[in-house]
Amino acid sequence: MMQSVANMSGMSEPQFAALVDALAANPDQREQLTDLLRENQPLYDQRGAATIVRMRGWVLLALVRAGVADSALLFVLEELDTGVDPYLIAAAARALRSYPNPSPAFAPFVKRALTNIRYRDEPVSFENYGEYAVSSAGTSPVRELLATLTWLGPHAHGILHEIESLRGGISKKLLIDLDRAVEAIRSGEQVDAPGASGTCCTLPSGLSSTSSWGIGSRCGCEPIESTVFEDHDGAEITFDKFFKGHPSIVVFFYTRCDNPLKCSLTVTKLANIQKLLEARGLADQINTAAITYDPAFDLPERLRGYGQNRGVRLDARHRMLRTIDGLDRLRGHFNLGVNFIESLVNRHRIEAYVLDADGRIAACFERIHWDEQQVVNRAIEMLKEKSGETKSETSPEPADGGLAAECGECHHQPSRPTKS
Amino acid sequence: MAKKRQATKRSTSARRPKRSARSAMSVATNARKTVKERVAALAEVPVAVCERDENLQAVLKVLRDKDEPVNVRLAALKSLQTASFSVVAFESCRGDYIGTLREVAEDSDPEIRQRVLGILAREKDGYAQKKLLEGLQHPEKALVPAEKALQLLSYDVHADAYPIARSIVSKPPNAAARREALRLLAADASAAPVFEKLLRDKDELAEIRQISASALQALKPEKLRAHAREMLLDTSEYDDIQVTSLTALTQFGGEAVAKDEALMKRVDRLRGKASTKVKQSARRFLDKYGR
Repeated sequence: MMQSVANMSGMSEPQFAALVDALAANPDQREQLTDLLRENQPLYDQRGAATIVRMRGWVLLALVRAGVADSALLFVLEELDTGVDPYLIAAAARALRSYPNPSPAFAPFVKRALTNIRYRDEPVSFENYGEYAVSSAGTSPVRELLATLTWLGPHAHGILHEIESLRGGISKKLLIDLDRAVEAIRSGEQVDAPGASGTCCTLPSGLSSTSSWGIGSRCGCEPIESTVFEDHDGAEITFDKFFKGHPSIVVFFYTRCDNPLKCSLTVTKLANIQKLLEARGLADQINTAAITYDPAFDLPERLRGYGQNRGVRLDARHRMLRTIDGLDRLRGHFNLGVNFIESLVNRHRIEAYVLDADGRIAACFERIHWDEQQVVNRAIEMLKEKSGETKSETSPEPADGGLAAECGECHHQPSRPTKS
Repeated sequence: MAKKRQATKRSTSARRPKRSARSAMSVATNARKTVKERVAALAEVPVAVCERDENLQAVLKVLRDKDEPVNVRLAALKSLQTASFSVVAFESCRGDYIGTLREVAEDSDPEIRQRVLGILAREKDGYAQKKLLEGLQHPEKALVPAEKALQLLSYDVHADAYPIARSIVSKPPNAAARREALRLLAADASAAPVFEKLLRDKDELAEIRQISASALQALKPEKLRAHAREMLLDTSEYDDIQVTSLTALTQFGGEAVAKDEALMKRVDRLRGKASTKVKQSARRFLDKYGR
């Protein structure tokens, strides 16, 4: 009766919408619904960016009915953390309210989404698949975010001041929603996340956007060793020549990304990472690389300009790279969270990796904004590992039994990643 | 001279009586006033639009109202667009503004449709992109001419317009649509072979060949340099294309060009014996490469 998720690449949008509705209605198939939020799903291949927005939005709205499980929570928070599309942010805000337990850890994500979208607030329609609101009646991302704050109530106490400061700017029509949210937040005693540092955005306990692998459980890089890259100066280098012999920090991006919270910020943060390495005298011991998802368009000159404009140090150890061939192999090896229409990216997640001195993936930071210092620390561990200062881990298990990120698929086979 | 101009400006504005935003709003929304008076009043209200919700709703109503004169509706649109430039002040108005623009995107007046779709397309609005693509796929549903739709879709590289642009290049409804489709494809990495072919086709219009040169510079700059060299060495090539080739090599040539004796000799000859525009470009080229 129903097409399996793995077998849907050619399905039409109405068929997709029907499938999502069916999955949402069946409690045994909720995980398949969550799987539809992974960017590298074959069904997102060769579809336009606007189509992907409609499809992902419909999945998020299905989660409203099905209830957001722990496995889907990271995707919902990711949209609030880095999203800029009004429809997806509104849908994610609504979806979050179907999570069983409000948590103070959600409040900074909602605040960030409000900051990101408040000047781009516009009407959205959730009535039917793919529908656009053709009037200002109905809901909007800011309205949905305010409703989510109302749901959070005292759990959002930590951001009350910022929420109250919205009063001077938002539409009169939304004032009632704002008042309701403020009243709900004030309605009980302040609830803080256990051990919350107050920084944006710490994930709730049990949820992680980082995976780590011990020495014995890392996948080899043989499949991509011979992959040829061209760097920002037009020099060619293979994967093994650049990534073997030193630990490396690798981020993915593309210059035509129009979400300032993704690629532009990622490359800017890579420049910060380089400064942290320099400050510790490690810039010649740990390599850094930014690899483009869009090698056909991101020619050396573009790579160089993009990096320089964001303060990236560029030299033999620190490069902006594009594959000359072998992008598919690279996608498979890193299990990149990206999909394409022809050669153009239609959707991607944030992803950064730490590679060991053998070029194997040792850690992955994905979806939620990562902390530069945390990435550097992980790379420094690789240096110690290289010099034999750390004990080899051979069979790691998740640190606290929580949910790990999904990057580095091949690593799932030898053993489970360690949650950081 | 500048002082005189300033004085004239002062005296002109001095002649115009100052009025309050409230008074301007009252004229702008009064159907009994002349079109000229209302258009002038609407030009004064952008700041007031977001100061009071009643003002915003009144101006949006003028824009929506099909019974209002088109010039007044266009003035209302311009006023709202001006107000929207103050992003922070416009925060409270944006939702109603975007909703109204979508509502009038299918207006019976072609100029209003085109202007509104232009504003939405610059916002990378999914609704506008959907309507524009629909119009290109089904011309009977088109809200704007094909060439305009392509131009508006080209504001967003993610608008999913490459397939339709390719089909328009191979079977264009008119020359302008073909030109705009090619401009749009200039960001499509897989389109380089098409541009190489067009660039070398002497039967093509100079404008199309120049668009192709520009596209190649973006997509495959080394290919443009190679073709530019060959076109310069080709004595039967048109002047416009010789100029384009000279400009490309002057701006993006690099060391290899400076060492290319055959090319230097040819350009040196063009400096002495060619049309004025080719001579000028040849001189710039030789200046750059120290000859």
